Amino acid sequence: MGTEPEAAIGTEPKRRALLVWLLLSAITLGYLALDWSVDGHGAYRASTVVTTVAIVAALVKVRFIFREFMRVRNAPVLLCRLTDLWVLLIGAALLGSYFAGMAVH
Amino acid sequence: MTGASMTGASMTGASMTGASMTGASMTGADTTSDGMTGPPAGSPLSRFAWHCRNNPKRELWFAWYATVIFYIIFFVVFFPVTKAEPPPHPWWSDAQVAAWFQQNHHGLLIGFGIIFAVAGMTAPQNALIAYSMRRMSVSRAFAYSYLVMYSLSAVPGLLLLCVVLSVGAMQTGLDPAATHWLFDFAFLSYIGTMGVFLVGSLVWMLAILLDKNRVMPKWFGYLNLCNALTEVVVAPAWIFHTGVLAWNGLISWWVNMVVFGIYTGAFITLLRNLIRREDFGDGPLPDLPSKAAGGNTPHGNTPHGNTPHGNTGAASLAGTAP
Amino acid sequence: MTEIARAEQPETAGQPAAVGQPPAGESKPARVVPGQPDMWVLVLFEALAFTAYLGVYLYHRAADNASFLQSQAQLSPWLGTIDTLLLLTSSLFMLRCVQASRAGQVRAAMVNVVVTGLLGVAFLGCKVTEWVRLARAGHGFTSNEFFTYYFFLTGIHFLHLLIGFVTIGVLVYQLRRRERRSQEIVETCAVYWHTVDLLWVLIFSLLYVVR
Repeated sequence: MGTEPEAAIGTEPKRRALLVWLLLSAITLGYLALDWSVDGHGAYRASTVVTTVAIVAALVKVRFIFREFMRVRNAPVLLCRLTDLWVLLIGAALLGSYFAGMAVH
Repeated sequence: MTGASMTGASMTGASMTGASMTGASMTGADTTSDGMTGPPAGSPLSRFAWHCRNNPKRELWFAWYATVIFYIIFFVVFFPVTKAEPPPHPWWSDAQVAAWFQQNHHGLLIGFGIIFAVAGMTAPQNALIAYSMRRMSVSRAFAYSYLVMYSLSAVPGLLLLCVVLSVGAMQTGLDPAATHWLFDFAFLSYIGTMGVFLVGSLVWMLAILLDKNRVMPKWFGYLNLCNALTEVVVAPAWIFHTGVLAWNGLISWWVNMVVFGIYTGAFITLLRNLIRREDFGDGPLPDLPSKAAGGNTPHGNTPHGNTPHGNTGAASLAGTAP
Repeated sequence: MTEIARAEQPETAGQPAAVGQPPAGESKPARVVPGQPDMWVLVLFEALAFTAYLGVYLYHRAADNASFLQSQAQLSPWLGTIDTLLLLTSSLFMLRCVQASRAGQVRAAMVNVVVTGLLGVAFLGCKVTEWVRLARAGHGFTSNEFFTYYFFLTGIHFLHLLIGFVTIGVLVYQLRRRERRSQEIVETCAVYWHTVDLLWVLIFSLLYVVR
């Protein structure tokens, strides 16, 4: 059952995979621009905005990896919801830790 | 051997009856679906005695209960009684260490005295886990090597700390530097040697993943990998006196403990399921009785099922397999 | 864009498709769990474990952000970006491998998985280069708090990557079998590999990008 061929594997899934890869790579390169926007010459500067954007962008990438590369998109709804929940959990934990640390110190 | 002369059905019947008594608080079921006689009605004590005499799985249940009871004793002794866990700080001065020994003097001696008395209970636990591997379709070498590894690892993994801290508590007149030496030795040997469990975890993982008898679910095989990896995470305790990678650090100890706790809870539950499912045969283990009946298993038992074929392992999430 | 359409519809319909069954009247492929469901336990568990480590890092970073920033400036954002692109590309090829394997195109699958492995090796090389570069500049595991986190996180990720190579080996073994090849195991190994990529995406953003 799991090996039923998707007719001859058409170009459609391959194109989709490539598009996703391009998007993820673009976000990765976008990080460089993000950092350049705040860093001084040679010295890095703290920035809550950059940190938050970086974390959110990472979560977007993670969700794409789940849904497209790991094929959760074609998985039962339970797994879709579970991985979405995980993205939220990870986001909450990371952002929470960051802001809690900022608040305490 | 006793199973050989009985049919599979009556063995399952006996195991279900046996489980219904000894596992009564857990299964809540009390079925004798094939007419096998269970214990005669009577007081719990007389039914217990009947099981001790007649239940073919009594040794397995004994080992399982020894495991559970040992972990309870271990938890009580190590946490509130001796206060060895959560571990005290590695960065303490001699004076602070001496004060800790003084404050916990009685707790240490009484607590570890108890541990020395019951440490033998780790043997049935190792035996039961090795038994699970013998029941698998893989080579017996897995079971035996696990048994040897975990038996030996009880020395640095448990006993050394108990001995050394007991010595530290007894020797009240020692030079503070010497006491501090005992303190460091105890905790480093206990926490820093997590690696002795690492290879054993990998052995069990490999056995589970290669097994065709569905003794343990594959997800538990992968959980063994998680457990092994967290043991690697503890290794930096030898390097760091302070911070998150110290022997009591957020990462090396606290996060580690969460993983270990989940892992231990999982294997205790799965070993119980194994005993309930055991048919003393050589082939794939049957499913749990409630699962075989097509009912819902209580959440937390076997989240991804022990289904017969790899593909239909997806069945629990994917619904009916075509 | 039929593939998107058929995936979108069951979700936007507001009700789960009868799990495993295509909606009535349509012959869409059933929704299947990618790989063994058991592997997903590992994936989600490890994701949480890494989140815990990363959360601890973020929390402590706030205590001494200035010193962390200074140390972070020693990292090379270019090398980090290359690392990420290498793993993302390896994931792309792993996906292509699974697609080819599902279609029964074993040769194509084999080529794709070999490229995946090579890109993984390239990542390893890049990582080791970075570590050596940092060590030569005097920054080690015990240098300061930032570098403790850096080497710890990249080190534990490195270990996961090494395990990834083992799964690639298992995958190749499955592809080479003519009879009784398990597509499920192929996909299971792929899911693990993508997890290695996923974890790196998180680590990269928190070690290299956040300020």
